[in-house]
Amino acid sequence: MEAVETEDLFKTYGGKEPVQALRGVNLSIKKGELFTLLGLNGAGKTTFLRIVSTQLSSTRGTVHVLGHDVLAEANEVKKHIAVVPQDVQTYSNFTPWEYCYYFSLLRGMSRSRTIEVSEKALKAVELWDLRNRTCVGLSGGEKKRAIIATALASDADVLLLDEPTSGLDAVARRKVWAVLRELVEQGRTILLTTHIMEEAEMLSDRLAIINKGNVIAEGSLDEVKGLAKEKFRVVVEGNLRDLTLKNQNHVSKFGNKQIIYVGDEDEGLELVRTALKKGLRAEIARITLEDVFVKLVGGIEDN
Amino acid sequence: MNFKVVKDAFIIAALKSLPDLKRNPSMMILIGLISAFPLFFIIVFGGQVSNGLVGAMIATISFIGLAAAIQDISFDRYVKIREMIVAMPVHPVAYAMGVAMAPFFISAPGLVLFICIAIAIGALPLLSIGWTVVALILCWAAGSSIGFIISTYLRKASVYTLNNMGTILGLGLVFLPPVYYPEEMLGGYRWISMVFPTSNAAGLIRFYAGLTKIPAETVLLRWLILAATVVVSVIILSFKARWRED
Repeated sequence: MEAVETEDLFKTYGGKEPVQALRGVNLSIKKGELFTLLGLNGAGKTTFLRIVSTQLSSTRGTVHVLGHDVLAEANEVKKHIAVVPQDVQTYSNFTPWEYCYYFSLLRGMSRSRTIEVSEKALKAVELWDLRNRTCVGLSGGEKKRAIIATALASDADVLLLDEPTSGLDAVARRKVWAVLRELVEQGRTILLTTHIMEEAEMLSDRLAIINKGNVIAEGSLDEVKGLAKEKFRVVVEGNLRDLTLKNQNHVSKFGNKQIIYVGDEDEGLELVRTALKKGLRAEIARITLEDVFVKLVGGIEDN
Repeated sequence: MNFKVVKDAFIIAALKSLPDLKRNPSMMILIGLISAFPLFFIIVFGGQVSNGLVGAMIATISFIGLAAAIQDISFDRYVKIREMIVAMPVHPVAYAMGVAMAPFFISAPGLVLFICIAIAIGALPLLSIGWTVVALILCWAAGSSIGFIISTYLRKASVYTLNNMGTILGLGLVFLPPVYYPEEMLGGYRWISMVFPTSNAAGLIRFYAGLTKIPAETVLLRWLILAATVVVSVIILSFKARWRED
């Protein structure tokens, strides 16, 4: 049985100009894996997550969470999921402890169990020392971690996290990453959406790219990266007219800097050597998930 | 309604009131003061304090109930806490009851104070307390239900619009109809007091306190209207209110 399974999932928002947010999404998320959903703003990630978390009706198709239909067995699904919505904010007069405590009580836990899981969750996100400070006195990262702790304290099997680290600084983000990976090691399933490609690269067991409501790529990190025919990138600083490019390479230009995508390492190394000879700065690296993402969603133009 | 719904309603009410009361206990005094404020003018201008106290009781319970039902739900939607609760095994009725009960907890001390003062000055006979409490509870339920209908039907309105609307409507229902003043002042339009749950409940309390004379059949009609306001509001809500959005 899969943790989350969707079949032919469609969602159209009504109104004067209907918007098709999802167009036949088929995804299968295994138990105990961290699955990342990547996509541009408005690609359908949040819509997908909200349907899975029983908050939004689909127009067509089915969704099962741990074998339970989200429409017919919503109450059963809710026992197994916890959600961190996108851009969630805190009650300013609440403490991290109160968040964990009250929300765990609402899940039907006993008082002693609530205290136990709240303590564990707050320690996991390193907020134990700040547990009694009201949110108004916490930093943005600490508030976010308080909400994440609420989800952790839920004991839910499947965590649905919609851009949980957006707005966090690098240090706070990495603390959350460590917690999420730890949870996966403990057997929990995490469905994560993010705009941070490094996050997806560091955390994902598998990932999918969604674009205009369609899944355009799915698999492990290597499988998704393998979808691009270019395997390496050369970053050149200086005037590109001094170089002769072969093979109609894709080039992304940012002022004086440009990324040239090449098919193999030899071609890249040759390009670096030539650039250095011409007095330009150049370095070669494997293509990143961001390169593949931008290319797949149509953000890279042909040279 | 099962035990978990009731338990969850109390947890939500606690969640929405205890941290406030713990960190900002002066809000209880503030709520009492707002309700008691018109009493100052009633006393200065020689009005009947007993009528004013009935108004203060109604204001304490209905204004905050209605405003909270609108403002809490729209705020929860705004900060997306509602999304977290929707995805939890919590019944929507438990959430609504909890949101409605929270201001009840906060306003209870003020309410008790006004009832005690009314008893002390002889404006509220002990025998009328039972009916007074029932009228207050129905008034609170009606105010909260109206608030829920507004926040449910105006789902796309901004939190600021809904906040203002809650305050305006709350103040309007408390200060315009005969809540602080006797309905006899409306003369031939006295029937208007039955239309609004606030003035309807105020009229009933005044009747049981012996402050006004109402025919027995009108008293029955008033109870029916007050109860019907709650029932109709709940029915309207049940058609529109959905945990899951379309």
